[in-house]
Amino acid sequence: MEIVFVGWNHRTAVLDLRERLSLTPDRAREALNGMFAERLLVEGAIVSTCNRAEIYGVSEHADPVPELHAYLSRFHSVDHETLSRAALSGRGSDTVRHLFRVASGLDSLVLGEAEILGQIREAHRRAAEMKTSRAVVNRLFTSALECGKRVRTETSLGTRPASVPGIALQLAGRVFEELAGRRVLLIGAGEVVELTLRLLADAGVTGISITNRSPRNAEALATMYGGNSIPWDDRESAFSQVDIVLSATSSPEPVVKAAGVKRALSGRRRGPLLVLDLAVPRDIDPAIDSIADVYRYDVDALEALARKNTEERAAEVPHAEAVVEEGVRRFHDWYSGLQTVDVVKGLREKMETLRRAELEKHSGRLSRLSIEDRQLVERVTEGLIAKILHEPTVSLKQGALEERLDRAAAARALFKLDEERE
Amino acid sequence: MDAAHPLMPPLYTLLGALALIAYAVAALLYTAAVFLDRRSLGPFATAGAAMGAIFNLVALWLRGHTLHTVPYADILGSLSLFGFFLAALHVVLEIRHGDRALGPFLMPASFLFLLLALVLPPRAASPGPEMRGSFFALHVTLNMLAYSAFTLAAALSGLYLLASRSLRNLASGGATASRLPSLSFLVGATRTSLSVGVATQLLGLGFGVAWAVQVWNPGSRWLLDPKVLLAFATFGFYAVVAFRAHRGAAPVTTARLALAGLVLLALSLSSNALSRVHGFDRFPPVARAQRS
Repeated sequence: MEIVFVGWNHRTAVLDLRERLSLTPDRAREALNGMFAERLLVEGAIVSTCNRAEIYGVSEHADPVPELHAYLSRFHSVDHETLSRAALSGRGSDTVRHLFRVASGLDSLVLGEAEILGQIREAHRRAAEMKTSRAVVNRLFTSALECGKRVRTETSLGTRPASVPGIALQLAGRVFEELAGRRVLLIGAGEVVELTLRLLADAGVTGISITNRSPRNAEALATMYGGNSIPWDDRESAFSQVDIVLSATSSPEPVVKAAGVKRALSGRRRGPLLVLDLAVPRDIDPAIDSIADVYRYDVDALEALARKNTEERAAEVPHAEAVVEEGVRRFHDWYSGLQTVDVVKGLREKMETLRRAELEKHSGRLSRLSIEDRQLVERVTEGLIAKILHEPTVSLKQGALEERLDRAAAARALFKLDEERE
Repeated sequence: MDAAHPLMPPLYTLLGALALIAYAVAALLYTAAVFLDRRSLGPFATAGAAMGAIFNLVALWLRGHTLHTVPYADILGSLSLFGFFLAALHVVLEIRHGDRALGPFLMPASFLFLLLALVLPPRAASPGPEMRGSFFALHVTLNMLAYSAFTLAAALSGLYLLASRSLRNLASGGATASRLPSLSFLVGATRTSLSVGVATQLLGLGFGVAWAVQVWNPGSRWLLDPKVLLAFATFGFYAVVAFRAHRGAAPVTTARLALAGLVLLALSLSSNALSRVHGFDRFPPVARAQRS
């Protein structure tokens, strides 16, 4: 019996192949059912995201990886050699380490991203629903989630945003004490604007004004976020009414001139004004930098910040890897203790300790007994424990592997054998 | 007139030392929390600042009790009071806004002012009746509170200019911006500090005038005393800055002016040597004549 994983991700498989190997929730269920039907796995769960499709499980096969490759080649109708060449796989602690690294965001396209935790939680939930996860996979996934959370709380791997919208939100947080109630002007109504607006709106920004060459797009976006659309010609004067300006049009030349902004701001009750120019070529005349209290960032600046944050995240990798290794060691301790012999031994030791403690507690009164009577008490208590443990011992050694593992895990939890070990 | 003055009691030295230690520890903890990203140390820094302020206050009271006058009847007592107000205002502002970025700057100042008050022994002058009474007490207390608020506004303004510059150079390495408070907080807190300072100085000057009218001969021309003139100039300057800030002046301009005001503050605080009526260790001739 061994813990195993096979999978494909952004590092090993090109997009074209990843698309063919991707697993929707329904296809993931179908694949798991097939692997169980062919007895390739006795426990299993599938983590499937846009960047990875990975199968984790427990197998009784001596060398399960080639057989899993063969099965998945048939399942996806992908050439076996192509699939095997692009595959990642691991056994034992390598599997555990891989899942823990994935959960920690160490294996993600954007280092330290947090969405993967939700995806792993979802994979586990689906497996539990299908009853394909039992003692080992349950523990593997809950430990992976715990490890992912620890990495995020004990290191700053995921604290610095590495995407342009995330950086925009971070900058807004540095300029404004709180975003609730802040007013924002959007110039353009494209995808990037909408994505950034969504983040800002989630953070509490209200008073959304949108202007676009095509008023229809502006009105549609305004309706979606409860804002108002303003005429294109009022875009510069609107600077006086807002705290944040976000611009991303496809105009070949600047659509906002410094002189117009200066004029608009001259009558404004002044506070800091954050201007995010996400367009290439730039929408906002860089000369507005000379206006006091205006903080302008263009795509170059935002990308430089993203690179810097990514570098700072990378510096946290050794700390995160240390947390992962600690998690792997803990899981290994638990897993090796799950072997039936170990549980039976643990149970006997626990009972014997309790028996001795009870006799010790009453040693005063027992000392008044004759030697023969004291020996009798010893034999009676030993016999009683042997009788109590007989049925559980037999049960732990009988039945299918997965049932034995379930019982062993239950016994460890009920009698707190893990705590004794720690 | 000057009688030999008893030494300050050991408890005063002990409380002063405890306040100094608390301020020093708080300064170190604030620095670690803000600049080394050891945020878990933040609450301990706050506790240190609060403890320092409490010890400082009790020491001030004991000082006044021992000298039989208000604790700030001399320049050293006033410095100690100034340090106390800085620490107390900072703790209040921190609790109000949950931001510790000012700690590394203000705690050393509180430490320094208290250290001066402790190291330099008080003059053994026994204060006359002019240096007692509620008008005098309120005049000095409120002016000290106002100067502390203006100092705080200057510190906030310095941080604003630093954060502003850091944000402008962010992409090319303005790493400190993430450890500084947001610009909008600094703008708001500066405005509040200026307003508190102007309001308390207005009252302080009012009580000062009332006290002067009571104590001094109208012919003494106390209104033309350099320190009095500087105090009115300081008030006028900050009143204009605070008014402009509330009317929506550019925060950068307000920050620069609040920093520039430090010159007036320094002059005002150090102008006792030029003053006939604010020499704490001597009585003004007119008042002396009246008493005799």
